[in-house]
Amino acid sequence: MSAAAPATDRLPAALPRGETIVEFRNVWKRYSGRDVLAGVNLQIRRGEVLCILGPSGTGKSVALRHINGLTHPDDGDVLVFGESVVGLSEEELSPVRRRVAMLFQGGALFDSMSVEENIAFPVREHTPKAEDEVAAIVAEKLTLVGLPGIQKKMPSELSGGMRKRVALARSIALEPEIILYDEPTTGLDPVSSEKIAQLIVDVNERLRTTSVVVTHDIVTARTVSDRVVFLHQGRFQFVGTFEEAASNGHPVLMDYFRAMGFPCGTGVFRAIPKGE
Amino acid sequence: MAGSEGVECAVPMAPPEPSATAIFYRNLAWLRFVDRFGRKGSHIVEYVGGLSQLVGQALTGCVSRPFYSSELLHQMDELGVKSLSITGITAFVTGGVLALQTAYSLEAFGGKTFIGRIVSLSLVRELGPILTALMVAGRVGSGITAEIGSMTVTEQVDALRAMAISPVRRLVVPRLLAILLMMPVLTAIADVLGILGGLGIAVLEIRMTFQDYFTSILQQLQISDICSGLSKTFFFGFEIAAIGCYNGLQVEGGATAVGRATTRTVVLASICILISDFLLTKLFLAI
Repeated sequence: MSAAAPATDRLPAALPRGETIVEFRNVWKRYSGRDVLAGVNLQIRRGEVLCILGPSGTGKSVALRHINGLTHPDDGDVLVFGESVVGLSEEELSPVRRRVAMLFQGGALFDSMSVEENIAFPVREHTPKAEDEVAAIVAEKLTLVGLPGIQKKMPSELSGGMRKRVALARSIALEPEIILYDEPTTGLDPVSSEKIAQLIVDVNERLRTTSVVVTHDIVTARTVSDRVVFLHQGRFQFVGTFEEAASNGHPVLMDYFRAMGFPCGTGVFRAIPKGE
Repeated sequence: MAGSEGVECAVPMAPPEPSATAIFYRNLAWLRFVDRFGRKGSHIVEYVGGLSQLVGQALTGCVSRPFYSSELLHQMDELGVKSLSITGITAFVTGGVLALQTAYSLEAFGGKTFIGRIVSLSLVRELGPILTALMVAGRVGSGITAEIGSMTVTEQVDALRAMAISPVRRLVVPRLLAILLMMPVLTAIADVLGILGGLGIAVLEIRMTFQDYFTSILQQLQISDICSGLSKTFFFGFEIAAIGCYNGLQVEGGATAVGRATTRTVVLASICILISDFLLTKLFLAI
């Protein structure tokens, strides 16, 4: 699959490619008296890149954190690999978390460890691999994210974009089946954002993972998504391809696109080749 | 009719009935007091409950796999060895001051010969453990909260959880064990340095001989005194590590919240150390 192909070519919404790998069933979550998630339903298919779009503070990250059990719903159920993750203890969640990686907004690299130690950390924790094998994995993942040879650097020596790429290398060190991206391009310049977005597509292709990307950045969503969902007032107001979203006519979604500087309903999105 | 006017004035006036508004506000003030008291109480119960839960998980982590032995050694160096200077200097100076004050106070009674006994007993039974614990609470307790708190607000703790690695086993257990192992060592060294501080003053200022000073110590000091002092340090170390780690893991927000949590750790750990010192002293004297 070419990175330059339109999103709809890669995974048409109407043609389900894989089984349901994650499912939200009537999920409710309340913070400070406000329903952040108000009866959310969603199915995420194996192999797709799904973007959760929406303005800041609408609960996109909260929804994402339900998938690996970092947050539990007040009501409803979340199924991952067909099993409910709601109400499980930290130990019971371990098998799921080994198969689901997460890239945090700030990278969340361990300050006290070098790049090499950061990437090797989950490998050393969960596999009995010898040190030379671990070193080979670290080198391979760094090459994959386009940062070969920076093993000995400390996180404080890296730029924001590099930190996120190293964090991505750490996320894929155990070759997970699902990768959760929490605002992967926030705080980056447009060039770095584009690199990260392209990397998400590449990683999804090469490792055959399923990716869930939380973002408020429409350019990133356009670059990476097979499908987008739009979260507003605690509910997914729209589910479909990016092109459908851009021409959907849903008033709130259209307002959001316009607020982000994208004219809607003009067919402009169909005219722009993906990745440009 | 002046007299009748006087009689009228002598009759006490009944106090005016409070208005319904005044009664409402008086009751409201009470309700506010009860509400505030209840909230405070509920916060304390919540804190103690959370701390107990963390301690339970940490104790389980101390006796079950996985063990992070290299992290334990690192923490023993960071929390223990690097605290040696501050605890040592504190004990050395305190020993010297104790010797000076004792000589000054007992001079009139010819009690200079008791200096060694008083300095050593005070240090080994009480001042060594308590001063070391307070210094460690200030240096290490605050450091633990600041480090774990920063990790919490930068999502590093969540990253551990997301990687199926227990933050309690990885962060709390090595720190708890490191302090439990290093506190008796730090205290023993502090005791020795304090006694040497006293010796310095005794010899240089009070013109005692080495022999008199040490003879005085050996006549009085028992093994039970040393055990009593050192055994307290396990409790103090446990309190410092548990409070430091818990406050760090509970941080929400940014740098300001980390700062507040750090201060809370030092205050709370110091109060707990002083209260538990009193209770332990009572207990050991009763045994």
